[in-house]
Amino acid sequence: MVTIQDLAQAALNPSPVGLALAVLFALLIPLFLHRFIFQSSGLTTLPSVLLIGPSGSGKTALLTLFERGNHAPTHTSQTPLAVECSLPVGTRAGSDKYRSVNDPTNQAHKKFLLMDTPGHGKLRHHAIKNITNPQNLKGIIFLVDAATLSAGDDALRQTADYLHDVLLILQKRNVKVLKELPVLIAANKMDLFTALPAALVRSSLEAEITKVRDSRSKGLLDSGIGMGDVDDEKDDWLGEMGSKEFKFSQMEEFDVSVEVSGGNVLGGGGASVDKWWKWVSERL
Amino acid sequence: MLDTFEILTTTGVVLWSKSYAPVNPSVINSLINDVFIEERTLSGAGVGEDISAANNPPYKHDQHTLKWTTVKELGLIFVAVYRSLLHLSWVDKLVDNIKTIFIDLYGDQLKKPHTTIVECHFDEYFDQQMQQLEKTGLGTDSRFPDSPFQHQESRFVGISRDEPPPLPELGGKQENNTLSNDPTANELNRASSADNSRPTTPAGHLLTAKRPPGGKGSRRARKAANAASAHASSGEESHSKIARANKGATQKKGRKWDADGLADEDSDTQLDYSAAANGTTSDQETSERTGAVEVVDQATWGSKTGKGQFILKDLDDQVNSILASADSKKEDSAATSTGIVGSSLSAIGGLFRNVVGGKILTKEDLDKAMKGMEDHLLRKNVAREAAVRLCEGVERELIGVKTGSFESVQAKIQSAMEASLSKILTPTSSLDLLREIDAVISPSALSLQKKRPYVISIVGVNGVGKSTNLSKICFFLLQNKYKVLIVACDTFRSGAVEQLAVHVRNLKELASREGGEVELYQKGYGKDAANVAKDAVTFATQEDYDVVLIDTAGRRHNDQRLMSSLEKFAKFAQPDKILMVGEALVGTDSVAQARNFNTAFGSGRSLDGFIISKCDTVGDMVGTLVSMVHATNVPVLFVGVGQHYSDLRNLSVKWAVQKLLSSN
Repeated sequence: MVTIQDLAQAALNPSPVGLALAVLFALLIPLFLHRFIFQSSGLTTLPSVLLIGPSGSGKTALLTLFERGNHAPTHTSQTPLAVECSLPVGTRAGSDKYRSVNDPTNQAHKKFLLMDTPGHGKLRHHAIKNITNPQNLKGIIFLVDAATLSAGDDALRQTADYLHDVLLILQKRNVKVLKELPVLIAANKMDLFTALPAALVRSSLEAEITKVRDSRSKGLLDSGIGMGDVDDEKDDWLGEMGSKEFKFSQMEEFDVSVEVSGGNVLGGGGASVDKWWKWVSERL
Repeated sequence: MLDTFEILTTTGVVLWSKSYAPVNPSVINSLINDVFIEERTLSGAGVGEDISAANNPPYKHDQHTLKWTTVKELGLIFVAVYRSLLHLSWVDKLVDNIKTIFIDLYGDQLKKPHTTIVECHFDEYFDQQMQQLEKTGLGTDSRFPDSPFQHQESRFVGISRDEPPPLPELGGKQENNTLSNDPTANELNRASSADNSRPTTPAGHLLTAKRPPGGKGSRRARKAANAASAHASSGEESHSKIARANKGATQKKGRKWDADGLADEDSDTQLDYSAAANGTTSDQETSERTGAVEVVDQATWGSKTGKGQFILKDLDDQVNSILASADSKKEDSAATSTGIVGSSLSAIGGLFRNVVGGKILTKEDLDKAMKGMEDHLLRKNVAREAAVRLCEGVERELIGVKTGSFESVQAKIQSAMEASLSKILTPTSSLDLLREIDAVISPSALSLQKKRPYVISIVGVNGVGKSTNLSKICFFLLQNKYKVLIVACDTFRSGAVEQLAVHVRNLKELASREGGEVELYQKGYGKDAANVAKDAVTFATQEDYDVVLIDTAGRRHNDQRLMSSLEKFAKFAQPDKILMVGEALVGTDSVAQARNFNTAFGSGRSLDGFIISKCDTVGDMVGTLVSMVHATNVPVLFVGVGQHYSDLRNLSVKWAVQKLLSSN
């Protein structure tokens, strides 16, 4: 009887130890929560830039160039790769325009995630997935091999096909998730003799996409449609409805700005990717 | 010799490479495309976490043979390239060893996210492995099993003639040679026995002096040894000659002597100096001088990690320990799996993880579920061969992978199979028929091609619907206002031409509304199909047709007599596209059909696409799609889904995968 009372008393009386423990818990729990839940959730998802383009256009080489300052030898990619890059000295992120030069946050804003995707026809779903579920996506660099884009070339057709698909996905994207998305068509391999200048790359891609668009509209339906399970058939016409020729400027209607600029990752005179850096820095 | 050795990631970045001869990067690119992405030659590859290069089928690409192995969890590929003419038996071993060493050294760096930079100074390790394996490789090739070292030496003497500059180790070598001529048999015996037990011990040249009785040493080796002792103190030239010979013989120990070698040239007693100066004693000297010291030396061998002087020894040691630990780990894992307590505990943990997720999948976990998946695919009319391959691919992909939180093994397999199926069905390049036709019939002014009609021919076994699908394609082309010529090359079965004539009559009727133009070209029965086709194409060129559609006779794919005429046909008609019609109803035979037709057109020509007909009759069981693509890697161009001219569809991969995985 006595013992029970004693126990009860000991348990309920305000004891210094209990008090200390309670205070300690009260103070530490928020700290723990912060440490394990808040911090690990990756508060700072870096802004990301997506690299896409047909196989062999130099995506992985560009990625290593952006990361290290010099390019590494590369082969065909099979898996996507994300790499943390920071802007080179002398360039500033677009959002830092009004900051003081000495502001330490400048450094933090210089970092971004560059995502490489395989360009092989069977592995493009990686790229598509990144566009449809974007995570802080700031821009898309579509790399093309300017040396293979001469008219009538098979590579031009394949490139235009891929670009058409990507732009169509962007056009049909969920506007709430992704408000505006700039696309840079980076004409790589300008160091080669056969490379087309950027303006010509632009016009030949536009002409070829016009053809893709026409033949897609005339082509057969996909299996599955009209066979019971009907998809929500959105409009598959890229660009302005009823327009005769496709122009990249038509994409601005959908908040997709398309720019074309040339450069080269490899080459005797070293890499010239300043324009691309500038484009990236303006988007961050 | 090897041409090149590369370590690259699946993301395409080359981490480390060493090339002895320039190799076009397209060689390795085609390995990646064919083996890893399109999985053309993987059928023989073993399933498991730790695949040795020996189990992977070598890949051959113009004159080069590639040996490769992968590390899945790190996404690494190790490739050795050499000329196909050579038979390098040790390449497998090299690739495996390099893999083990590289993972051990740089595994941590490779796991870092968001970077491609791996700081690796791998050249020395690689050179060490190369030399060791080359040596053992030659040793095992020896024709004189009782005196392998001598033979080896003779070989090296031969090789070393064209070896570049002698290293500055001449003095040391020479000193050794003079020492070896001393009649101290005890020492020599000890040295040579030590050498036998460990072939990397740099005492090879001693063995030339102490030739085992009865051993048939090659004359060259003997001569080299004699020359070495005779001109021991002559000028620089003989020095270098000896050094070359010796360097060849004891290629491996080269670097170890760097520090001593220079000192040795001045006097006779410098051995002690160099030893004192370095603060340590090199093996070479000790092994020659006293047995007692040698024993000590062996004990402290591993611990000697100098600042560069003894790199090679360090490397040897490090490499050996890495390889040994990898081996023992393997044995351990084999051994632990048999413990009773351990296994029951892990079984409970496994059950728990089955539900919660976060389980690392092993072959045992997967086996049952994979069997279920295989049966499911077989029920969907996928040929057994294709189903097995798909399951193997998924298994290979999943072993060693961690399941996500609250993800069951089944769900994981389901999603992996979905990815695998879409990968196999997705074409490598776009299949826009209309644009291809446009490119041919109206070539751009810049490309120097002349306008010509686009030729499509259709092949297949009897009764799969060749003529019907041809008419469907024709209708589709007519809708797009092309001028089409249909050619009846079935000159064999009675009624075939008339059947096509009926189709053409109907299509003409429709075309007048749609705006295209269609004609039939026929030469009756009994003519040679290839000639008819050739004439038709010439006729079409003259008459300015856009597209030529050639219907061929149905033939049994396992009848060599009928199939052989296809080669001539392909040569004469020069079709831009050869399409094979396969019916969705066919089961296991689809693989053989596709394969035989794919090879029937001779080398350099294969099928360009499949048309899978009668898809509306099979419901969910569209496995034929997968079987045919599996067999040939040729994409499916169209699927036939009904009786009408308009019932032709492009293949939607999503739709097909959904049908294949739906359970009923």
